[in-house]
Amino acid sequence: MSVPGRDPGPGGTRASAGLDDEADRWLVGRARSGDQGAYEELVRRHRDRIYRIALRMLGSPADADDVAQEVVIQLWTALSGFAGTSAFTTWLYRVVVNRCLNHRRGQRPHDQLADADHPRVAGPESRVLAGEELQAGLAAISRLPEDQRVPLVLVQLEGLSYRDAAAVTKTSEATVRGRLARARATLMSEMKDWT
Amino acid sequence: MTQERTPSATAPLEGRLACGRDAAALVAQVADGAADRRDAHQRDCPYCQAALAEFDRLWAPVRAVADHRPQAPDGLLDEALRRIRGVAADPEFGRIEEPRGRTRVSARVVVALARHLASRVPGVRVALSHLVAAGGGPETSLDGGPEVTAGVAGSSTVVAITLAAEYGADLVALGTRIRAVVADGIRNSTGLEPVAVLVHVDDVLL
Repeated sequence: MSVPGRDPGPGGTRASAGLDDEADRWLVGRARSGDQGAYEELVRRHRDRIYRIALRMLGSPADADDVAQEVVIQLWTALSGFAGTSAFTTWLYRVVVNRCLNHRRGQRPHDQLADADHPRVAGPESRVLAGEELQAGLAAISRLPEDQRVPLVLVQLEGLSYRDAAAVTKTSEATVRGRLARARATLMSEMKDWT
Repeated sequence: MTQERTPSATAPLEGRLACGRDAAALVAQVADGAADRRDAHQRDCPYCQAALAEFDRLWAPVRAVADHRPQAPDGLLDEALRRIRGVAADPEFGRIEEPRGRTRVSARVVVALARHLASRVPGVRVALSHLVAAGGGPETSLDGGPEVTAGVAGSSTVVAITLAAEYGADLVALGTRIRAVVADGIRNSTGLEPVAVLVHVDDVLL
């Protein structure tokens, strides 16, 4: 379990978390000059992160698959817009989060999460199934309002600092803290039937 | 008549507990993974202890999500990368003739293998690889130069490694190590003969 709100995050140092900003910048520079191999290496380094954020934002592996592929295509053309004033990962988080929000907004009502995919908070008889807690958690998070879900995913789950999460969402640290507190309370309330 | 309050299994999520503590602060304490780190008051307070225990139980599904580190499914992003790369970007094959048949090795296999091998040489921070035309370029370049994309020819291949090195590394010695590791690895894994391994140190990173 991560302790949120701290930099560098749950894994300790940024390097131990699989982050190497300098190497990313070198790859971005080459990719921007047209080196597709550099771009592919960049994607390889962050593919699990892209997928994980999408899964946590959307709660559905199928939707996470779609968004991850869209992000890989979008990033190739969007790299020219990366100013390099922030860490590549901060910019990447913003791209993925926005893509997830657009994906959800673009879904028709009947495309939204089905109960069969993510059962609502389960009773004791089904909790014995492996992964039931995980499924219940993903389902509850996916039902959060987006202004609560984004800080919850970034800070609580991804281990970003409040400052980094504020940079990703282009809000203030105070806003991130407030929304995260509301997200936690909402989730606690949602889990009241989890026995 | 006064009603005696007892610790409840349904502690409020907002407002204050019967002992006066802020419920939201206890929610944050649990979410921060600090349910067991109780202060002096909490160590003696049944209301706080009951609330912390309940919140910790309620938080278990979120904890499960945080602990889950899913990996992108194999091949998930390959199609997206192919669309960027273009459909005709990988026409080259190496051929190894044997008495009972022929083995063809895709150029991309050689490129991926060379990158994988080079990136694991101590002193290499990040490495890329390309196939270049046989006989093109110096063995080691420290100042860049045009890279010529080509394929393997027959059972021979020439590979170029472009890399960013760790600051302070002996770059000439690093180039020698990379050439040895990559050539041996390609020869052993594919049967192709690396005619040359060109090493281009593009940058050093702190």
